[in-house]
Amino acid sequence: MLRFLSYNIVFQEVPAEVSLAINISNCPNGCKGCHSPYLQEDKGDILDESMIDALLVKYGDAVTCICFMGGDADPQTVERLSRYIRKSTDSQLKTAWYSGKARLQKNCSIANFDYLKLGPYVESLGGLDSSATNQHFYRIENGNLIDETFRFQKKKGSMALML
Amino acid sequence: METTIIKRDGKKEAFSLEKIKSAIRKAFLSVGSFATDEVITNILCRINITNGTTVEDIQNQVEVALMSERYYAVAKSYMLYRQKHLEDREVRDKLQFLMDYCNAKNAASGSKFDSNANVENKNMATLIGELPKSNFIRLNRRMLTDRIKEMYGKEVSDRYINLLNNHYIYKNDETSLSNYCASITMYPWLISGTASIGGNSKAPTNLKSFCGGFINMVFMVSSMLSGACATPEFLMYMNYFIGLEFGDDYYHDADKVVDLSKKQRTLDKVITDYFEQIVYSINQPTGARNFQAVFWNISYYDSYYFNSLFEQFIFPNGSKPHWESLNWLQKRFMKWFNKERTKTILTFPVETMALLSENGDAKDKEYGDFTAEMYADGHSFFTYMSDNADSLSSCCRLRNEITDNGFSYTLGAGGVSTGSKSVLTINLNRCIQHAAKREMHYLFFLEEVVDLVHKVQMAYNENLKYMQEKGMLPLFDAGYINMSRQYLTIGVNGLVEAAESLGIEITDNPRYLEFVQQVLGLIESYNKKYRTKDVMFNCEMIPAENVGVKHAKWDKQDGFISKRDCYNSYFYIVEDESLNIVDKFRLHGHRYIEHLTGGSALHMNLDEHLSKQQYKQLLRVAVQEGCNYFTFNIPNTVCNSCGHIDKNNLQECPVCKSKDLDYLTRIIGYMKRVSNFSEKRQIEASQRHYATVSQL
Repeated sequence: MLRFLSYNIVFQEVPAEVSLAINISNCPNGCKGCHSPYLQEDKGDILDESMIDALLVKYGDAVTCICFMGGDADPQTVERLSRYIRKSTDSQLKTAWYSGKARLQKNCSIANFDYLKLGPYVESLGGLDSSATNQHFYRIENGNLIDETFRFQKKKGSMALML
Repeated sequence: METTIIKRDGKKEAFSLEKIKSAIRKAFLSVGSFATDEVITNILCRINITNGTTVEDIQNQVEVALMSERYYAVAKSYMLYRQKHLEDREVRDKLQFLMDYCNAKNAASGSKFDSNANVENKNMATLIGELPKSNFIRLNRRMLTDRIKEMYGKEVSDRYINLLNNHYIYKNDETSLSNYCASITMYPWLISGTASIGGNSKAPTNLKSFCGGFINMVFMVSSMLSGACATPEFLMYMNYFIGLEFGDDYYHDADKVVDLSKKQRTLDKVITDYFEQIVYSINQPTGARNFQAVFWNISYYDSYYFNSLFEQFIFPNGSKPHWESLNWLQKRFMKWFNKERTKTILTFPVETMALLSENGDAKDKEYGDFTAEMYADGHSFFTYMSDNADSLSSCCRLRNEITDNGFSYTLGAGGVSTGSKSVLTINLNRCIQHAAKREMHYLFFLEEVVDLVHKVQMAYNENLKYMQEKGMLPLFDAGYINMSRQYLTIGVNGLVEAAESLGIEITDNPRYLEFVQQVLGLIESYNKKYRTKDVMFNCEMIPAENVGVKHAKWDKQDGFISKRDCYNSYFYIVEDESLNIVDKFRLHGHRYIEHLTGGSALHMNLDEHLSKQQYKQLLRVAVQEGCNYFTFNIPNTVCNSCGHIDKNNLQECPVCKSKDLDYLTRIIGYMKRVSNFSEKRQIEASQRHYATVSQL
């Protein structure tokens, strides 16, 4: 069973998508220097199909992607809900999973997600926006993992280059 | 017990009979006479002093007593003496204001009456503008109350002053005599130059005279308005003159060298040099406006909007506006302006992109894409989206119904000429709490206030018509704007705070929606009730650059609940971090803004720029939610050490690594350095929640 503490509309987590990020609690990874230690406790509302339905009613037309932030304690449910979102939106909405595990957990298939972030947070290496990071962000296309971690490592203040 | 009286500065003082006696003696001596003790006693018998009597009142009593005792010459001398002292006191107060102003941190904080960040420096010119403001307020009030008395009687006039003095309502721009803001048709200028509005320039005949003349024309028009001047046809006319010189298909050869001087400029360079001339000139502080730059607004159109506004338009040479080249010129200007803003701080023009929507997206795909691209490139502008071209937002705030899309050979395109004659604002927070304190339904009390503000606006309209009859308003006479197409605007402020005071949660929920619809619906019903064929009303959530701060302060002082130091113009709480971006669009969506006929722009504050695809999706969100007017605000960074301007919100200058930074953001509708905001507004700006676009 999954529980979540909050959600937000975010833009950086999944490049080029407007995502509804669901902050799932009971994170088992316990990374040192975790930016959201409050997510390590098992609390919040239950995240199941009926909660997904409610969120879709509220934000389904506004976002392009649903992003599961965490959920490593119950990977099967994350996968099941991801499939459910695809099915109930006729694959109009993409799904992303921010997992703290180094590999996709067994019995899970990349085919059920459009984006995947893998890797625990290691304080000395930094997050996705650090050039030394151990984490990877993948776009999934035709069953292949395409590494797009570089998209996060654009230096801040690079607007002049983009112009 | 000793009797105390109140001095002019409000301080208490023990009453002294000797002081009155001395004043009476001096008054007699001044007319060559002498007051015996008996005379003085007779006069004093007529004076009644109790605890808390004011000096002013005692002097009034002395005047009456002198006359009752038939010492008319003495009374006259006494009155003249008092008048002279009154004048001295006024001069002393002005002098004090002058000193305070000189010592104030910036011009907006120094201004006593309508602080304004559009004044960048404080200097002799801005001081000269400030000094007569209190006199203008008195004059405006007098003219208005005289007219209200004539039209509706003394009771209504007294009630107006009472509500005004007690801050239930606020008269905007009372320090100026001019009508408020206007979106003008430039056709009369195109046909006959500025002679009809008091200038001496002839009609523009070529690109050069158009650009030079345009600047002068905007300055002249602005000097007769207290607010913004919008020129929604600026680029269309400029395009016409470029076409006259280089052919309608000029944009195909923009790289061709057309300047045969040593500079060998390309056509593109010639055009952008004209952009530079116009934009830099108009951003200059202006003498006629107390050293403020003029507020200048322009519009861009997608092909559908353009067609519906201008399909019948005909230029003096018989040709029609040329969409393909204008399409190029609009994009060129926008890109040029975005880039120019990294070189220097340019506030004007405030730009609005007008897009038609269909099936939940921008109907003109090219322009939907381009709009998202410009936001992603860091450009800051407004977008107005509507499912039919029935209205136009030509300014940083005002939405106008287009009542006539026709074309006339004297006035040009009918749709672009509009604006607001005058704004009168209701402080909803105070009105609604006042009703609650008296256990009255708030709509009951509000209805009285709403009715009254409509009467006051009708009276203002009569005064404006009087001015026009006397030939004081050439903008109307010359057809730049039209008396019956300009709105009388009912402003609202403190809506969120009013709802909070009733215990309503400020989120998208049925109770808040019902409250908003009731309050704004009431105003709209009166807008309709008072509408005639010559008078139109609209309702606007005013930006309240300075009155938002004043209302919060006054309400707090008078014991009303006010949870923040500035009432803003949004349907959500600015510092509320629990609302996400979609929630904010929703709270500015059609159900909430339905009765806001005068518009209200959503300022979506973000701490970082988004990608083009993400902005495209947000345009769709805006259409789906029915949020027709919005902008994205990402603070730009200005380095105080090396002058570098960066489109991002940074903590350190990327060029010189300095941490002495200033930020550019929209104070209300226009971009300014935060350090130019008045002190209270700077605090508000620091509390604005810029949605974090990342949780990484």
